Amino acid sequence: MIQTNTNLKIDQTLVQKTINPELIKTTQDNECDYCEVKVENLNFFYGSIQALFNVTVKVREKGVAALIGPSGCGKSTFLRVLNRMNDLIPGTRLEGKVSIHGENIYAPNTDVVNLRKKVGMVFQHPNPFPKSIFDNIAYGPRIDGLKDKVKLNEIVESSLKGAALWDEVKDRLNEPALALSGGQQQRLCIARALAVKPSILLMDEPTSAIDPLATQRIEDLIRELCSNYTIIIVTHNMQQAARISDHTGFFLQGEMVEWGETSKLFTKPEEQRTEDYITGRFG
Amino acid sequence: MASITEKAMRVLFVFCGLAIILFLVGILYVLLSNSMPGLMELGFGPFFAADRWNPAAYGEPTYSLINMIYGTLMVTLGALIFAVPIGVAAAAYLAEIASPWERELFKPIVEVLAGVPSVVLGFFGLVVLAPLIARIFNLNSGLNAFNGAILVGIMALPIIITLAEDAITAVPKEYRHASLALGGTRWQTIWKTTIPAAFSGITAAAMLGMGRAIGETMIVLMVTGNMVARPDSFLDSVRTLSAGIAIDIGDVVFNSNHFHALFVAGLLLFLITFIVNLLADILIQRKPEANK
Repeated sequence: MIQTNTNLKIDQTLVQKTINPELIKTTQDNECDYCEVKVENLNFFYGSIQALFNVTVKVREKGVAALIGPSGCGKSTFLRVLNRMNDLIPGTRLEGKVSIHGENIYAPNTDVVNLRKKVGMVFQHPNPFPKSIFDNIAYGPRIDGLKDKVKLNEIVESSLKGAALWDEVKDRLNEPALALSGGQQQRLCIARALAVKPSILLMDEPTSAIDPLATQRIEDLIRELCSNYTIIIVTHNMQQAARISDHTGFFLQGEMVEWGETSKLFTKPEEQRTEDYITGRFG
Repeated sequence: MASITEKAMRVLFVFCGLAIILFLVGILYVLLSNSMPGLMELGFGPFFAADRWNPAAYGEPTYSLINMIYGTLMVTLGALIFAVPIGVAAAAYLAEIASPWERELFKPIVEVLAGVPSVVLGFFGLVVLAPLIARIFNLNSGLNAFNGAILVGIMALPIIITLAEDAITAVPKEYRHASLALGGTRWQTIWKTTIPAAFSGITAAAMLGMGRAIGETMIVLMVTGNMVARPDSFLDSVRTLSAGIAIDIGDVVFNSNHFHALFVAGLLLFLITFIVNLLADILIQRKPEANK
């Protein structure tokens, strides 16, 4: 009995060793020339509570990907996996593979600071620093070591223009950012993220705390930005997802139920649960 | 019946609240009433003249507090130069860096430090710090402003740490998240976001520390040497206003000019402390603006 058991074990490790390199090879061959974010078999835990179950998704370069689903379904958790903001919460654990630009961002030698420079984030509530408008935008470049005034001015101007805020604030760059309206503050936060020159922008319900007119401006802005950036946006609002996104993922209880082109997901969903949600049977 | 008890309780509590104000006004009254005769007779001039403190002289007594004011300023500012950087760094460590068990360990230690009687700190200065300073700087005596500044700084540390930690903890976490999400390191986030956002509270902490340092008597009495000559450097012996009062009050002639002069010194201390605390209070009210 004992003899056979150890034999079995050896056999298994042999099998794993022979299979593993091939697995890696095939995944590399397959699709990474077009996808910016690739998530494979992601399981995520807050302590003993599992928040994400076996999520697998590939997000294309450029364009807008929206994540929808009811509260507590894990969509924000998923978003924060992508720039490792979940690292700040003690006791979290992750299984599976998350790659950005083909690099596993949870590899032990990952530079999280660099990752977050590539993957910018806009939060649910506008959170400008209690500094001037200029200093808010210049924060990222400055911590990167940029001191040259001329270059800082250029970055501040181009970032504010990129976030469609320049015309409103160009004459008062030295005024406190907290004096701006909520919608302006949120665009300021977008500009601040742009100033670091990321390739991906994560947005966690960026319009849920601001009024409808300001929301529309930000939606327009997102459509403009998506020709240069890959935008992944979590939204509570299905109409918003339908309006602005190219792809949509539907989360339910930690699972990504369906992922596909927005037009298709909202008209001909493949999953019954997706259809139930978008037609308002629950959520 | 119940309403009478209610009313009685209310009166009792209001009275206790008012008592605080009463004590303060009472102290101010005693200071004023005892210093006024001196101010009336001599005017303000002699107290701030570039002169000496020699109130017991036979011929012409002089009452200049100016050297003691220098002494107080040197010890206080020296204490702040020593204690504010250490206190703010310790507060940042407790609020931002320390793991929960480290915090559990360090916070009671800070409280114990706050509870050390000043006479014990003074003793430490006398037998440990003074010989050390004398050796390092090659002096005859280590009883000087430097020694007093360090010890008063140590005494002010707990209040600075506690209040600065409160100020840093009160900074909304959104600011930290914004900085980290922009690719800031933890160090950059503390240095460029959290501490600037907590700046008014940290300044208030420093000022309340200063308020304690100005009035501290026992330590300076024991370790600064108490010479009333004008100090030229931190390594000179100084006498502070508080120590000056403590030294002379025991054998001063009641209601003499000397007696009134000591109350002028007390009034001065009271006013400085009052203003410093008032400014600190105004700063504390200006909490970092939270997000809506």
